[in-house]
Amino acid sequence: MASFFQLLVSGLATGAIYALIAVGFTLVWQTSQTINFAQGEFVMLPAFFILAAMNAGAPFWLACLIGIVLSVVILGLLFKFIIVDPMLKYGVLPLVISTIALSLFLKEGAKDFYSSQAQPFPSLVPATDFHVFGIVVSLQSLVVLAAATATVVALHVLLTKTRLGRSMQATAQNPTLARILGIDVNRMVLYTFLINGALVAIASILISPIYLAKFTNGETLGIAAFLAAIIGGFNQVRGAILGGVILGVLDNLSAAYISAQYRGAFPLIILIVVILFRPQGLLGRIEERTV
Amino acid sequence: MSADAILTLDSVFAGYGKMTILNGTTASIRRAAITTVIGPNGAGKSTMFKTVFGLLPVRSGSIAFDGKTVTNFTPRQMLDAGAIYIPQGRNVFPELSVRHNLELGGVALPLQDVLPQRIDAIMERFPMLREKANAQASTLSGGQQKLLEVARGLLLDPKLILIDEPSIGLSPLMVQEVFTILKDLRDKGVTILLIEQNAKQALQMSDYGLVLEQGQTRIENAASAILADPRIAQLFLGGGLPQTAGAA
Ligand SMILES: Nc1ncnc2c1ncn2[C@@H]1O[C@H](COP(=O)(O)OP(=O)(O)OP(=O)(O)O)[C@@H](O)[C@H]1O
Ligand SMILES: [Mg+2]
Repeated sequence: MASFFQLLVSGLATGAIYALIAVGFTLVWQTSQTINFAQGEFVMLPAFFILAAMNAGAPFWLACLIGIVLSVVILGLLFKFIIVDPMLKYGVLPLVISTIALSLFLKEGAKDFYSSQAQPFPSLVPATDFHVFGIVVSLQSLVVLAAATATVVALHVLLTKTRLGRSMQATAQNPTLARILGIDVNRMVLYTFLINGALVAIASILISPIYLAKFTNGETLGIAAFLAAIIGGFNQVRGAILGGVILGVLDNLSAAYISAQYRGAFPLIILIVVILFRPQGLLGRIEERTV
Repeated sequence: MSADAILTLDSVFAGYGKMTILNGTTASIRRAAITTVIGPNGAGKSTMFKTVFGLLPVRSGSIAFDGKTVTNFTPRQMLDAGAIYIPQGRNVFPELSVRHNLELGGVALPLQDVLPQRIDAIMERFPMLREKANAQASTLSGGQQKLLEVARGLLLDPKLILIDEPSIGLSPLMVQEVFTILKDLRDKGVTILLIEQNAKQALQMSDYGLVLEQGQTRIENAASAILADPRIAQLFLGGGLPQTAGAA
């Protein structure tokens, strides 16, 4: 059995990826009321963009760049203009159904156009282990953790330290008030979709070496993002980060120490406990809007 | 329509979905004066403000502000034209600092370079805001939040302030403070259009009053005249005005 520390690091690494996915999910939900049930597939897909670019001869780093750009354009821009904007006119429910349909379409699309077989995906670093003070840690986990953390920190800096970011936060927290102050709400919403496009692509690059690129990857990832968002507080970016990390760590630890068989059940148990005792989520605030 | 009107509504119809709330509202708001809109619950007072500010579409009729037609302007266009709107309740971003809340009030400034100066000047005027500049807006009391909302609006140097029930939930002392600020602004030439539940208190400090009922203007007159009008008592006792009363 792997050491506790090793499990902790790999749990944090998984959790940090969940956090990326959940943050994007939450941002999009907050600014546009879009509950994106295709978020998991959004993470599954960029890996295939990258593999396709590599098949066409691009080196890995260039393929990653292409994957991120395609993801921002297709899963950010086009998703907003082709699906969200037209459907949101009819209400939140039609939009939810559309994102569910989109998730099936992307899943089947990846299977038919690429492959139904799991594809090996290049890792950012070789699969070596690290020895720190006699403890063995996988280099890959550390790099994933560092990259995901750097991404979240960069996003946090953007959202809190720049005026543009604060306008985005304002739009997320109270779109009507944002409009009253003259903030270009539509533009801010568009930015969150583009950011989500980048976040899912980064998550895809980080997780695909571990999970392999497979058309079904979105199923578990989507649920993880959804759970992380709810656990942390649906209306909070910080909450989504916390929820993702908790989920990743507990998932790894419970699988090792309690039972790998019931691994899938633990996140749901956490979810139920959180909903029972803190229905607004760990860091969530109760919605208080007056306009 | 008086010559010194800054805002006029001409047979404005507006509402929510299939519901029509403003039923041909006509009004003429005097420049550099405080006008209080009163009327029973659900009369359409807040709806009138939302419609003027472009948050609800005008279905028919027209609105003019400061010499131009502003019917169906967006909120941003209304800001650019010189109006600000402070809705009922709490209108701050609770998790942002006081300074950052203020800063967002400057988004519509045509020249962004002046924003730091304006923020500085407004903090000079409201020292509480400087003291609390780095505190989360959620830590302010209700009255302090209202001051923040007013101060944030003043960054744009508005000609017209639409303010919906500013006194709600405020201590009597704080209500006085807010009213004093509004009167001070009026003396500097700013037009204030106010909604208040406490009609008597609000009219006492207003220049004009406007009685709205079922989405129509019933009375438009000097505040002192409205205070002396026996029909007002009838209206606020829930009797409603006879149709013959008509709009002034
Ligand atoms: N967002 C909304 N959607 C649907 N109907 C609304 C909405 N806001 C208000 N209404 C309805 O429109 C009518 C007028 O509301 P409005 O808020 O303008 O009244 P008001 O005169 O401001 O009353 P109050 O004194 O209670 O603030 C009410 O019947 C109200 O129920
Ligand atoms: Mg109202």
